[in-house]
Amino acid sequence: MFRYFICFFTLACFSFFVYANDNHSELREEQNIYGKIYNAPLHLSGSSKVTSVESLYSRKPLIVALVFTRCYGICNPYLLQLSENIKQLQSNTDFNVLVVSFDPRDNLKDMTNLAKQYRLENNRQWNFATTDSINEFINSIGFNPKWDSITQQFDHDALLVGVNEKGLITKNLLGIRTVDDLQLMIRSIHNVFIPSYRLPTKSNIFSCFNYDPKTQTNRPGLGLLFVALPAIITFLIVIIIVIKSKRAAA
Amino acid sequence: MNIESLKLKKISALWIIVILVLFIASIVLGILMRLNQGKVIEQSPLTFYTNMTTHGLTMIGIWFAAGMVAVNYLLQRYVKTSYGVNLFAFILTVIGVVMLWITTYAGKFSTGWTFLYPLPFRDLGSESWSTPLFLISLTVLGVGWLVWSVSLMAQILKKYTLSQAFAWQHFKSNASVETPPFILITTVTLIGVIASLIAAVIVIILYFAEYFSHGDFVNDALLMKNLIYFFGHTIANEMLYLGLAVIYEIFGEVSDRPKWKMTWYISLAWNCAMIFILTAFFHHLYMDFVQPQALQIVGQLASYLASIPSAAVTVFSIVAAVYGVKVRWSIVNLLFFLGVAGWVIGGLGAVIDATISNNIMLHNTLWVPAHFHTYNAMGNVLFSLGFFYWFSTQYVDKLVLSKLTKYTLALLIIGGIGFLMAFYVAGANSIPRRYSTYPVELTSGPYLAKVGALFASIYLIAILIFFYNIAKRCFVILSASSR
Ligand code: HEM
Repeated sequence: MFRYFICFFTLACFSFFVYANDNHSELREEQNIYGKIYNAPLHLSGSSKVTSVESLYSRKPLIVALVFTRCYGICNPYLLQLSENIKQLQSNTDFNVLVVSFDPRDNLKDMTNLAKQYRLENNRQWNFATTDSINEFINSIGFNPKWDSITQQFDHDALLVGVNEKGLITKNLLGIRTVDDLQLMIRSIHNVFIPSYRLPTKSNIFSCFNYDPKTQTNRPGLGLLFVALPAIITFLIVIIIVIKSKRAAA
Repeated sequence: MNIESLKLKKISALWIIVILVLFIASIVLGILMRLNQGKVIEQSPLTFYTNMTTHGLTMIGIWFAAGMVAVNYLLQRYVKTSYGVNLFAFILTVIGVVMLWITTYAGKFSTGWTFLYPLPFRDLGSESWSTPLFLISLTVLGVGWLVWSVSLMAQILKKYTLSQAFAWQHFKSNASVETPPFILITTVTLIGVIASLIAAVIVIILYFAEYFSHGDFVNDALLMKNLIYFFGHTIANEMLYLGLAVIYEIFGEVSDRPKWKMTWYISLAWNCAMIFILTAFFHHLYMDFVQPQALQIVGQLASYLASIPSAAVTVFSIVAAVYGVKVRWSIVNLLFFLGVAGWVIGGLGAVIDATISNNIMLHNTLWVPAHFHTYNAMGNVLFSLGFFYWFSTQYVDKLVLSKLTKYTLALLIIGGIGFLMAFYVAGANSIPRRYSTYPVELTSGPYLAKVGALFASIYLIAILIFFYNIAKRCFVILSASSR
């Protein structure tokens, strides 16, 4: 009996997660690709001058991270992973990182403290900033944090946005990601082609290739046979005609 | 005149009139596109793309049909062909083309002639019924042409064994039976035509499957692209070969020269061409990174190998036929001769583009319309016009090279070259194809489009004069009786 209860309880908890997950994220990685990022005025930590998003991306392509300093959840592990990933890069380091707070309560001091937490306050590649035009900025990205008054927290995605030197969004990464994914984003902000594969679905039975995300391999699929089919059917038609003509002659 | 041959003449004459009328209408659409790109007129992007789709599909359809009409007509010299099937193909072609124009003009279907997946399912501003009607119109055309091609193939294989139809006996010395080059090229071409039409049938089935499944079945874009180019690239090339078959058959005859005989190298070249032409379409997928590299290499090799043997042998044969000997030049052999030149020049442009390292620069630029218009507007069209002239003057009038004909030919050449040069120069300057208007950065785009429109209008004047001359004789044939 106890075993059934545990099972039921686990399933019920799991279904809540599914619900929560469904409810939470409407954001998709392919959203707003090649849309222009809003040119918001920025207050950078460690600087008294107001600058703009454009002045950053026109110097070097940008990786934008959206956080809030009072976050109890994803923001810290996500920033930590990003800083670790960037440390691991041996080449392809020609870009800047812009960490922007989407919480109106955050001020420059909060952002400076956040930078210090990761020992990035003197790293010139990293820019910690607040902006007065946060709504326009996050709307141009399609990022939509929801305020939860009970927990006093934002319900939000961990989103990294790649922006090229023209201010166009070239790639989004959702969630905490590996250094390989970051490499792809860096290539994309430098306008280098990055392949993307459609995941296999039940409705797609005649694919030429099926991509397995676990092994990252592309296996030949049933669709490849279809490419040869016209030649095979033609061959059969010719054979049938030949047999029929022979019979008719006999 | 026997009743069977009169029926064949009449149906051929009817085909010719319909083809030329549609040709003129499609050239007008082409000129409108160039005028819009040149900012001389202002059309909405939707109008531009419906014009482009109609122009592309109609042109491919009519010049394929023109080649089939000519081959069907000349095949009668060797085997008996079916009048019923010819008429059936004609009726389905007319119905199919009318449906197609309704789809594009009333339904605003505007995917381009290659109807690449998933464009027919995207909201491009077209009516929702236009996609199924478009697919039905392709089915009607495809069924008509497939039945026609299989019927001609069956008639050839009734008289010739398979190896004779492919002229394999000519690989040995002292071939016991001679296969006329016309039969070999027709056989090789019909095989390609049948394969390409079957590819179209599969594409249509897959499109319908997705359309009716309401999301339960989704197509694979790479498979659809492979199949669409299997169909599109192959049929666009095979229709040229139909024209070449006609040249092999009647060039000698109209030039007072002996008829071309089958040799081992003609046999070898055309047998190779058959295999390579069926795999050359892979060069349309160079930009598709998922396509295996081996197929990309096959695409490049096949593009070279498909064009070189047949082109080399044909050019050699035609130059040998006219070099240093007295030739009776008429409008027919002049059109054939110029057409072969256009085919070879366009073919070279195509081979340049089919080379992977060049394709990176030229892909989807106006270089592509440049080369395919060269071997169509100044190649295949001239092959078929030559045949139409020859056909019409056989029963009414004689073949004479009047001053007016010479001037008309000059207009055709000047107009054709100018129109094509505007495409080539734009392509070399990286002006993209399929743009209804060019962004301000591409300053030479509109200028070259205007030049193209001007020369295309000169080409159109020449075609109108040819149309008048050919159609008036075709009408006489249509009204002839068997007595
Ligand atoms: C003087 C005669 C012609 C004119 C003025 C003309 C003009 C044009 C123009 C302006 C385009 C669009 C180019 C672009 O991509 O920007 C086009 C595309 C095309 N033309 Fe022509 N053309 C002519 C003759 C022909 C002929 C004889 C064929 C024969 C097969 C042909 C087949 C096509 C095809 C297949 C396309 C591609 C349509 C697409 O991309 O969907 N054209 N033509």
